[in-house]
Amino acid sequence: MPSFSAEERQLLHDSLNDFLAKNYSFERWKKLARGPEIEGFGRAEWAKYAELGWLGVALPESVGGAGGGMTEFGIVMAGAGRHIVLEPLLGTIVLGAGAIELVGTPAERERLLPRIAAGKELLAFCHTEPSAGYARDYVQAVARADGSSFLIDGEKTFALGAHAADTLVISARMGWQKGPVCLFLVPRTANGVRLNVAPALDGRLGATVSLAGAKVAADAKLGDSDEDRLGVIDRLLDRGAIAVCAEACGAMASVTEATVEYLKTRQQFGQPLSKFQVLQHRLVDMNVAGEEARAIVHAALQALDDDAPDAQRAVWTAKVQTARSARFVGGQSIQLHGGMGMTDELPIGHYYKRLTLCETLFGDGEWYLKRIGAAAAASAIAVSAT
Amino acid sequence: MFIRAVQHNTELDAFRAEVREFCKSEMPAEVRRKQARGQHLERHEYDAWLKRLGSRGWLTGKWPKEHGGLGWQPEQFLAFQEELGRAGAPPLISFGPTMAGPVIYTFGTPAQKKKYLSGIIKNETWWCQGYSEPGAGSDLAGLKTRAVRDGNHYVVNGQKIWTSMAHWADMMFALVRTNPDAKKQEGISFLLIDMKSPGITVRPIIGITLGHHLNEVFFENVRVPVENLIGEENKGWTYAKFLLANERVGNVDIAKLEAHLAQIRRLLDETREGGTALAEDPVFQRRMAELEVGFATVKALMADQLAAARANGAPSLMGAAALKLRGTELQQAILQTGLDVLGRHGMVFQSDALHAGWNGELIGPEASADVIYEHLYRRAATIYGGSSEVQKNIIAKGALGL
Repeated sequence: MPSFSAEERQLLHDSLNDFLAKNYSFERWKKLARGPEIEGFGRAEWAKYAELGWLGVALPESVGGAGGGMTEFGIVMAGAGRHIVLEPLLGTIVLGAGAIELVGTPAERERLLPRIAAGKELLAFCHTEPSAGYARDYVQAVARADGSSFLIDGEKTFALGAHAADTLVISARMGWQKGPVCLFLVPRTANGVRLNVAPALDGRLGATVSLAGAKVAADAKLGDSDEDRLGVIDRLLDRGAIAVCAEACGAMASVTEATVEYLKTRQQFGQPLSKFQVLQHRLVDMNVAGEEARAIVHAALQALDDDAPDAQRAVWTAKVQTARSARFVGGQSIQLHGGMGMTDELPIGHYYKRLTLCETLFGDGEWYLKRIGAAAAASAIAVSAT
Repeated sequence: MFIRAVQHNTELDAFRAEVREFCKSEMPAEVRRKQARGQHLERHEYDAWLKRLGSRGWLTGKWPKEHGGLGWQPEQFLAFQEELGRAGAPPLISFGPTMAGPVIYTFGTPAQKKKYLSGIIKNETWWCQGYSEPGAGSDLAGLKTRAVRDGNHYVVNGQKIWTSMAHWADMMFALVRTNPDAKKQEGISFLLIDMKSPGITVRPIIGITLGHHLNEVFFENVRVPVENLIGEENKGWTYAKFLLANERVGNVDIAKLEAHLAQIRRLLDETREGGTALAEDPVFQRRMAELEVGFATVKALMADQLAAARANGAPSLMGAAALKLRGTELQQAILQTGLDVLGRHGMVFQSDALHAGWNGELIGPEASADVIYEHLYRRAATIYGGSSEVQKNIIAKGALGL
């Protein structure tokens, strides 16, 4: 698999953090999140990310990308998490571009991926349905051929960034309730597509999508076969999971540093709070929780880049640990800030909210534990049967 | 161990039925509708409901009869709370009945009792708490708001912060420094301050809930009559601690916990994973069982403290600390379970839906926005009333002699 050298990774990491530290202050964040730009993120920022090469970091050089892999994605997402960036990286460069890359024909890839790398196309991945929960194989949306077009009916739950996406990647069964699941590129403004725009817990906007006879051209179906794509979707959602883990790692590092700094300056009982051993130990636990997540997420990113046989399990494991770490670090960052952590005015609460999103997107820790348990049981049965 | 006589449950059945019937017939339809969606009540709606409860004496049912209470046994108080929670009634507000009232009837002058107690019993007066300051959080005794005697008044200057509901309050009970030269606990006095006094400015703090609950309160040459001093000058720390023990028992809101649990059960019924209700998921069944065990334990701890308050006039500082510690952790665990369900709906937070008149389209179960709001708000449960770390210090020192 393609991958950067350690030096190249360091450069990517530094460029991200330098740029965001200079240009993405919390004041700027508030302006972007709360308007007047009602999209809830920055178009100018997005153009800049394209220029700096972040959007195409994991796309092949032939389509204007930098030829990186999942680890390079991880570096970008960690930088995004460190500054709780609002721009729709997840839907566009991880899931949307991933779907086109894994399912699209060469012609589709050549047409769309350069636009993504150039920052000209925003995507949202709309797969989950209202009764699916975290289950990934529960698809009831149906696409029926109608002359030279498809008519799609179905309901998709809240997807981050869907409100502003040029194109929605929609999963639907071909022909009937038990047909194979295919992916469709549906313009957000297509007839029969209705969005209910809402904020997520962390204030980022997104939308639920209702499709009622939504009409799309025949070439809106991604790829050139009616092959069932549930397996690919599973891989994509695992990519999403490891991407939000990387994002959480960045957010945890940042909020832990902020908490250490706060306790060094906050005076109570005639000394800084950082002098109290119980609080020192808590900060240590926050730091170690962040390190545990960073280490296991790194291992999973590497396993994905190596296409290792246990890569999927590595992602699940990383998500369980990261979810636990994120919950602990986020909660303690508020606890140790006291009232200061409870205000909308200061960043701590916003990190807590972002970490909560990272913890739950694509399945929470309990859900991945179940997957790990079920997979272990299945392989034990397979072994005893031989 | 196991000495206290526990009131037998069957004696309470009639009372429970009375509370249920009351909630059914007396809760205004608009309040009921808003409560179902977790929508915020206007002050006047809240006030009307609390006044109805107050007309029965139920806001202050656990006060001794001699001070206008009903002298409830612990089990009756718990039954009352449980029924309110099950009926989906608005939460009770503890600043008057749990905090100010007992300080006034225990340490106040006859004139103060006459002036303030009936207003609390009938909810004619709304109170807020002037304790925390920017520089005095865990280290409450480090407070700096000054009160200087000037004839028949104290002149108050300084700032309080994190003051819940100050924007709705008629009165504040406040800790002020009257002797800056004494050891810090020995220079504090306890004052009752009319919030309409000239020189008071209340500024909202918007919380991570995106709601307005907290405030900063500024005092600039605020003149407070000397007759509003509770007990003796510079002995305020004693009354402050007495109040804190009551406050910490009140921090564990049984009605609210009962209502949260009912909400989470509904969320589990209304949420599907792969088409099957989460209520059927063994992992969630186990977690709900864990929460039930926690709830039963917290109620038992609370019954002890209510009994101690009846016997000794106040809960024990250590017992209240233990109850507060576990009760607030339980509240967070319940609301975390709610959040874990709502992850299945994309973790949407339509905070606007909490305001009456919102006509957008809800995503996910009806209670979603309320559960997220409460989850965020109750991150402070292990901070307000003294952080969990402070509670542990109290138990370490007071109960274990460390």
